[in-house]
Amino acid sequence: MSSTSNSPTGSNRVRIVVATSVMLTFISYWRAAAVILNDLGSSAFYAGGIAEQAIGKSAPWFVLGVMLFAFAVRAVYVESCSMFVRGGVYRVVKEALGGTLAKLSVSALMFDYILTGPVSGVSAGQYIAGLINDTISIADAHGWIPSALHRAFHGTPQVGVNGTAVLFGIAVTLYFWWENIKGIEESSEKALWVMQITTVMVVMLIGWSLFTLLKVGGHLPPFPTLANIHYSDESLGFWKHSKLPHMFGILGLIIGFGHSVLAMSGEESLAQVYRELAHPKLKNLKRTAIVIGVYSFVFTGLVSLLAVMLVPDDVRVKVYSDNLIAGLAMYMIGPQILRLIFRAFVVVVGFLILSGAVNTAIVGSNGVLNRVSEDGVLADWFRRPHKKYGTTYRIINLIVGLQLFTIIVSWGNIYTLGEAYAFGVVWSFVFKTISMLVLRYRYKGERNWKVPPNLHIFGVEIPIGLASVAMVLLSTAIVNLFTKSVATVSGLIFSVVFFAIFTFSEKVNRRKHADHAAQMKEQFQLQQAESVGRETVGIRAGNVLVPVRDYNTLHHLKWVLERTDTREQDVVVMTARISQFGSAAYGLSTEQIFSDYEQTLFTRAVSVAESFGKKISLLLVPARDPWSAVAQTAHNLESSAVVAGISSKTTAAEQAFALGTAWEAIPEPKQQFILQIVRPDGTVDTFRIGPHTPTMKNEDVVLLHRLWLNVTQEPGLEKVHHHDILTEALTRFARDFGAHAHDDIVKELRRHSADGGPLPARRIADQIPTVQPEPTRSDRDEGPHGSKE
Amino acid sequence: MSLSVLLIKILEYMFVAGWVGSVIVLVLTGIEDIGTLLDTEDETSH
Repeated sequence: MSSTSNSPTGSNRVRIVVATSVMLTFISYWRAAAVILNDLGSSAFYAGGIAEQAIGKSAPWFVLGVMLFAFAVRAVYVESCSMFVRGGVYRVVKEALGGTLAKLSVSALMFDYILTGPVSGVSAGQYIAGLINDTISIADAHGWIPSALHRAFHGTPQVGVNGTAVLFGIAVTLYFWWENIKGIEESSEKALWVMQITTVMVVMLIGWSLFTLLKVGGHLPPFPTLANIHYSDESLGFWKHSKLPHMFGILGLIIGFGHSVLAMSGEESLAQVYRELAHPKLKNLKRTAIVIGVYSFVFTGLVSLLAVMLVPDDVRVKVYSDNLIAGLAMYMIGPQILRLIFRAFVVVVGFLILSGAVNTAIVGSNGVLNRVSEDGVLADWFRRPHKKYGTTYRIINLIVGLQLFTIIVSWGNIYTLGEAYAFGVVWSFVFKTISMLVLRYRYKGERNWKVPPNLHIFGVEIPIGLASVAMVLLSTAIVNLFTKSVATVSGLIFSVVFFAIFTFSEKVNRRKHADHAAQMKEQFQLQQAESVGRETVGIRAGNVLVPVRDYNTLHHLKWVLERTDTREQDVVVMTARISQFGSAAYGLSTEQIFSDYEQTLFTRAVSVAESFGKKISLLLVPARDPWSAVAQTAHNLESSAVVAGISSKTTAAEQAFALGTAWEAIPEPKQQFILQIVRPDGTVDTFRIGPHTPTMKNEDVVLLHRLWLNVTQEPGLEKVHHHDILTEALTRFARDFGAHAHDDIVKELRRHSADGGPLPARRIADQIPTVQPEPTRSDRDEGPHGSKE
Repeated sequence: MSLSVLLIKILEYMFVAGWVGSVIVLVLTGIEDIGTLLDTEDETSH
């Protein structure tokens, strides 16, 4: 171990620099809003239908009320983010109410996340099945269905809606399970693209609906009074045979509100994107909150209202309650084929946004469970990385297993799924808001914004706004316990089971972590650093950076150590602790960042270095994106080379492209470096990251030389160098590219790129007359000071 | 008055009082939001 020690104290313990600032790529508030709306906006596809099934035709008023109330809830999130950069439920509840209630709140949040997947997948399946059936019905009405097929199905052929929805939900869940096992990266670009398409649909939907209303007229849904609320058999749960719901007017409102509350599911994402928001963070968070608030009010709220106004009662509940927007598309004025095409567009958008929500559910659950696992309340066994992909596959398997179980048990019943989903949504909001209320008195740290209004009586602050939001949420959550029997039973069982797992794991881990801490204390010395720099790591410029992730594949580290004299050039082994989208809201202490996995990884790296008798420096950085972390670390450490192992998922060229893209995002000034991708068989691909002299083909050199020979024949140009020709050529190219010849150049480059062949330098070179060089000419290639080009 | 009726009454008062306060939150934050939207300083691009 001494061969690798660089401890300033000279002890045998290996010093590891642990950076505590996460290397994030910051996003604008538009992108942040798009990420949240991919979750929040998806509920527009099913929330209105579920609410109407529960409480009748006045449901849109409740959905609008929920969307209005969501503005107040997001104020709670803005306040929590102004206190903690990672202001998610777990952090806030733990800070305010302690570990036990934090575990309980995370259990409720997990129920929310786990249900998001099935409800979204099944809903997308309902839209698809509905479209297939209606298309077949229309085709049948036109006599386009063969009579044999007609006979075989004893009427118009139809697919089973719930069965299709279940199959689709399973297929989408399995698809994203595999993607998450492989470790797909969340992209705000994709979220923005989905929201752009969704916005086109929303504008068309609302515009066309309003035009239809103008032409054919319509009636507003009945106002939400006790007389107008018509409870279904399922909507009263344990109060099914009680007179209470029919006795109290305001209780009816609470029941209705409780059945519509799932329309605001997804607000939690506001805390998760906060860390990634660009400066000024708080202002941008408020802007994000405004965008998502207005968007979801218009989309979820207004569309639910328009659906009740335009779609006739007899078909709305019977046929379209599970695909309400599709029903709205079919009941607008215009040719049937146009409506059917628009409905297909609705289904495509629904597929995109709801499938995205399935993925968000898996990513979010994985993030939350990773976070609690890091805190020692989930056995480390769950976090063991996948051998090939390095992902926490056991957690992903657990989540997806529970989601598949939920889909099959519900058998495509979107109402049951939605009702259960609301349990997790409302209780995680309750825990969060009550915790924020407690923190008004317990938390004395920085707080940049508070939910208004706040009264001050004798120096005591009365948080009227925060308390009001908490009262609405708590009263709704308590009433939901009685009216949503399936949700209450399943939610409580789920939460209790998860709570028990957390508590048991915590006890087991406490003992294990004590041993681990003692072992770590003996072996490693953790040095905490806010940011990464050469001084903090104690290395020289021009070092070699070796990113490692999997302790089974350290062949590239061996390759580096074989070739590097560490007395002349430092070798830094770094690993990035990836903080995924779902877990970005949570803070990690040094010990959490350096978990037992990192300890095993660095122990292996140290033993490799010892086998070579060479010294390495160890570095651990938390990051959102591994390539950004590598690029920023190489930049901060002034590394001359980065040596990575070949990825199991991408090619070497793709790895280089990813690192190059991350390098481009670093602000100037920055220096170039070499990336070497080492394969297990020892073959290496080398790339230059950043602007660099390209490798010139022989024909290019010949062309340049011929041009140079010709140019230097001209009077007064005898002293021109090869590089002068290149400078002139590039200057002319830049000028032409920015002006008249842009299209021609792009066309020519595209043609050769598609051919895969070289640009015709040889052909051009052959067209230039050869000038016999004078014997001394080649000497002029030397610069004025004798330096080679 | 039975316990369940008392509980429901409490929940109803909580809900109504909460909504009144929440409407005040909406108005106050709404006014602030208008200011945030009009303030284009430090605005980041897409």
